[in-house]
Amino acid sequence: MSAEADRPSLNEVWRAPRGLAVLSEVNNTKVGVWYVLAAFGFFLAGGILALLMRLQLALPLLGVLDHQSYNQIFTMHGTTMMFLFAVPILEGIGVYVVPQMLGARDLPFPRLSAYGFWCYVLGGLLVYSSFLIGQAPDAGWFMYPPLSGSVYSPHMGSDFWLLGLTFVEISALSAAIEITVGVIKFRPPGMTFGRIPVLAWAYLTVAWMIVFAFPPLLVADILLEAERALDWPFFDATRGGDPVLWQHLFWFFGHPEVYIIFLPAAGLISTMLPTFARRPLVGHHYVVAATIATGAISFALWVHHMFAVGLPHLSMSLFSAASMAVAIPSGIQVFAWIATLWGSRPALHAPMLFILGFLFLFVAGGVTGVMVASVPFDWQVHDTHFVVAHFHYVLIGGMVFPLFAAIYYWFPHVTGRLMSEGLARWVFGLVFVGFNLTFFPLHILGLLGMPRRVYTYLPGLGLDWLNLAATVGAFVMAAGVGLLVFDAVRSARTGTPAADNPWGAGTLEWLGPTPQPPKGAASLPRVSSLYPLWMDREEIDLAESGGGYLARAVTGGRETLRTHWRSTAAAQVVALPGPSWLPLLAAIGTGAAFTGLLFKSAPPTLAGAALAALALALWAWDTDTVPVPARPEIGHGERVPSHLDTIGSHAWWGGVVAMLIDLSAYAALAGSYVYLWVVSAAWPPPALAGALPHGAIAGGAVLLAAVAAAGIIAPVALRRGGSAAAALALGVAVALATAVGAGGALTLLNSALAPTAHAYAAVVWALGVYGAAHLLVAALISALALLRLAAGSAGRGRGMVVRLAALAWAYAAATGLASLALVAAGGG
Amino acid sequence: MRGGRAASVVASLLAAACEADAPAPEHRIPGAEAARGAAVIAAVGCGACHVVPGVRGARGTVGPPLTDFGRRGYIAGRLPNRPDNLVAWLLDPPAIDPETAMPRIGLGERDARDVAAYLYTLR
Amino acid sequence: MRRALAPAAALALAACDAPQSMLQGGGTAATAIADLWWVMLTGALAVVALVTGLVAYGTWHGRTESGSLRFVYLGGLALPVAALSGLLVYSAGVGRELETATEAAPLRVEVIGHQWWWEVRYPDAGPGAVLANELRVPVGRTVVLELSTADVIHSFWVPALAGKVDMTPGRTARLRLRAESAGTYRGQCAEFCGAQHARMALHVVAESPARFRDWLAGQTRPAAEPEDDLRRAGREAFLAAGCGACHTVRGTDAAGTVGPDLTHVGGRLTIGAGVLPNNIGTIQGWIADSQTIKPGNRMPAFDRLESTELRAIAAWLAGLE
Repeated sequence: MSAEADRPSLNEVWRAPRGLAVLSEVNNTKVGVWYVLAAFGFFLAGGILALLMRLQLALPLLGVLDHQSYNQIFTMHGTTMMFLFAVPILEGIGVYVVPQMLGARDLPFPRLSAYGFWCYVLGGLLVYSSFLIGQAPDAGWFMYPPLSGSVYSPHMGSDFWLLGLTFVEISALSAAIEITVGVIKFRPPGMTFGRIPVLAWAYLTVAWMIVFAFPPLLVADILLEAERALDWPFFDATRGGDPVLWQHLFWFFGHPEVYIIFLPAAGLISTMLPTFARRPLVGHHYVVAATIATGAISFALWVHHMFAVGLPHLSMSLFSAASMAVAIPSGIQVFAWIATLWGSRPALHAPMLFILGFLFLFVAGGVTGVMVASVPFDWQVHDTHFVVAHFHYVLIGGMVFPLFAAIYYWFPHVTGRLMSEGLARWVFGLVFVGFNLTFFPLHILGLLGMPRRVYTYLPGLGLDWLNLAATVGAFVMAAGVGLLVFDAVRSARTGTPAADNPWGAGTLEWLGPTPQPPKGAASLPRVSSLYPLWMDREEIDLAESGGGYLARAVTGGRETLRTHWRSTAAAQVVALPGPSWLPLLAAIGTGAAFTGLLFKSAPPTLAGAALAALALALWAWDTDTVPVPARPEIGHGERVPSHLDTIGSHAWWGGVVAMLIDLSAYAALAGSYVYLWVVSAAWPPPALAGALPHGAIAGGAVLLAAVAAAGIIAPVALRRGGSAAAALALGVAVALATAVGAGGALTLLNSALAPTAHAYAAVVWALGVYGAAHLLVAALISALALLRLAAGSAGRGRGMVVRLAALAWAYAAATGLASLALVAAGGG
Repeated sequence: MRGGRAASVVASLLAAACEADAPAPEHRIPGAEAARGAAVIAAVGCGACHVVPGVRGARGTVGPPLTDFGRRGYIAGRLPNRPDNLVAWLLDPPAIDPETAMPRIGLGERDARDVAAYLYTLR
Repeated sequence: MRRALAPAAALALAACDAPQSMLQGGGTAATAIADLWWVMLTGALAVVALVTGLVAYGTWHGRTESGSLRFVYLGGLALPVAALSGLLVYSAGVGRELETATEAAPLRVEVIGHQWWWEVRYPDAGPGAVLANELRVPVGRTVVLELSTADVIHSFWVPALAGKVDMTPGRTARLRLRAESAGTYRGQCAEFCGAQHARMALHVVAESPARFRDWLAGQTRPAAEPEDDLRRAGREAFLAAGCGACHTVRGTDAAGTVGPDLTHVGGRLTIGAGVLPNNIGTIQGWIADSQTIKPGNRMPAFDRLESTELRAIAAWLAGLE
């Protein structure tokens, strides 16, 4: 018992630093709220841009904005709402709510969350800074080349977009890693797959969608930036490239993106709606299946943004069918919600108003979604205001309304106070009426022939009154949003104090007092139902009184419980890092590097990269080092290890998800090679045929196989022969990789393949750069492993860093071999 | 700047709701319809060269702005601003001033009188 | 179906004259798609009414026990599967018909998108038949448009006649359309193409086959000789000002290919791709200061011309019918 008393209290270890030092906090309850606040700030900025557009379109041939400002503003409006508002705010809610809902004290990699957040904020500010120099992006949020290329957009707008958003998307990818590992590994004992809340399923689905959808966008961004900065002609039809390649890559991301935004919002509805209906969600398993199905089908829809490109009829029919099929899982969710509401006579609290508004608007947006899935109809309405109306119904109705409901719902969870129910009626009324007044007329405007992205229109086309109505509606809606902000700011200080679990919810995030202290609940519960606060009262009372798991800091610091992914038995107590400046420093370094690239200036690029690398190295050095008892007692008389370097550990899973992200990027790059090959008349172009000697390709393949072997042996060597043997294996891998890298570089440089000459040469070079970069990453991880081996902090039982180095070598070698095979098969 | 533009939108919305100003007594043209004149101005495209208040998109800078035309002393700097002079000018500017850049558009008599009537409402 | 809804629609859609509406039915393809729209609208209204009604009634008046999985089976699975299967078959049928409808001798027209105007060629009428921002077609005959671009991606769209097709670098896309009745149909670029995307309109004039034949024959001829001194002076001034570096006027030394062919510019409906009506005044304003009229367009302002030269050039061009 005395050992127990020596341990610091949970409040001590989870307390956030005071003053400015709070910025070094990494805990999800802080970072999640920051995400939401920052994203809401960008929402307001994007909304102001929208109001400016509506002013300009209020009447025909107005001169409120000139064409340049308008084109910048509509581009930045779409960019802001998609990349800087919708995705990040849902990431924020996920970071905040999901661990709580799983009864975990934090996400698996808190510093990664913080790093992602800072990359997002700094990246967003970087993109917005383009307004300061009058060079905001103006080629539309889908940046089609050649318009976005250096010939037709010589100013820096496209560069701000491509580089700034690449920087921002680090946040989405880090959130994807967090949430995947968190949902799979950090559930409480008893929360089997069947008992995972819908919201957590939604986030898990979305995390996987991010893993497969975002990397192709990043690859596309990098290729287009390379075309702009280095003249590598990936999308230039005069030099073997194809602008349609961009469209495929962009929409392969862009369509799942819509569901990345919608699915968490639907999950929010599925979470809140049962609370107000006071009964479990009807058809929980169907809703979960529908969520996953939507995620899967969303990858088969991207071509429906390209029906007007003139693609073969058969492929369009297939995509049309898939686009209609995706309505079925949405229908399942809608009818599950209707069934849950049936006869429930819910009190019309603020969140419930927005839930009802959502149901109406989402269905209205859904039916027009089915319409645009029809190929011939889409030929007419594609790129018109009809489509603008459709996706605002789906995105505002389908995402912003659930978001507002969620703000009202979880506001007391964060602040301990309720927002005003009286003002909420006004907010809802203004937003709902204003929204419909704005966007319903846009359907008709589209049918009357008004294209989207036009800075003005002529009188006499029958468009005048509908546009005026839309403009009035936009200001009505803005008034509602303004009122919401006012009420939130006011209520945070003076709102009615909320009772514990004020809505009487059944999900775990309301465990413990409201507002929740940083530590979360007094101890972690066991669960045996989908709604533990309703159905597992005994366990919940026990946990709230400190009788559950981890009532004390058994490792002496922040920690949470990892369970077995299938049995959900407690498997490990995971020590979590406390406040650290390293994520912020790493983000600043990354941002400086991107800014340097943007201005094509080497010093800030190198200095920023060095700062980021240093911060990341210190961060990596500082992992897996806490000295702890081998098998501490965690409560309920159970003892679990505090350290694992097996493939069950969260660190290994994090590494694997990161690798999947990378693999998805590689698939996009390799896919680009294959696509250009398929659409080209001659591949390689006759002048470049046989530019790479077969001997060099074969030699590279042999060396890469050796690299993989040396890398994979390292963890085995550590286990069998100890640190020295592992160090030797890693050293050999580094040496071989250096040989491959140097040989490959020399071969390419001495070949006839000038990357500016033809898309073939450019894409071969891109594969080469990808391979070299990954050999470098593996070498850096190996260097870290070697240092830790030398310092004695990576010995037996702590060999995760060696395992991860092996993973990196295997991955670099495998993708390198695949690239060589592609080049050889493509006639290189 | 933006604020000023926004204000001008509101102003033009209000202006659109009101009737145009009545012309000065000496500028009345019997039988001419100012409203039809505005439509002629829009249809012919006078805005290619002139700023014409009340006609959407008429923001040309080639010729003089026709703002406050009803208070101008001279037409094209040559003719006293009287209805008969204005109609004559609109019908065939080069006939009056061979050096003018304004071409003979080919307006008919009625069009010219209606356009003149509209221009005199700009005060 | 379409007729039953027409009164309601008339209220919403035809309250004002809408010459660019996709529902006015000037062409075969547009009519088929408009029919598809009215069917889908009916279904959509039914779905929205059903869901709204279920929520509004059931939430407050239903019996809790009835809120069961039956909803999910019937409303979430059976209903959409049935409705969507039907729609898919119908929609695919319409699409196939529009893409494959053939005629023995369709009229070929090449349309090439430029920032921010349309070049139109009639390849079967010889190399001379080149015009801009306007194409004429005979009523009742299938026209195959061959769509390409000289710079960025544009999209050809005349809503009253047919759906849109993108004009992508490195490709030639095809679009079939057939005007069912004579008239002038307005269209405009539908893929964002930069600064003046909003002001890139074109007109399709559908007329009787005989008139079309005469018109096309006229288009292939070189520019007419000027009839008077003013126009002769205009031609001289045009050539002296260097306009021929960008524009072609067949029958003169002007053979530029950057801007629109002006051989028969006087006969066109608009100038600046639908920005202004076409007459001597607007031509003159355009030459003197097109950068105010359509900022960012590729033509510099020619305000250094003498006023008399300017008038003469405009008189000559306006006379090139």
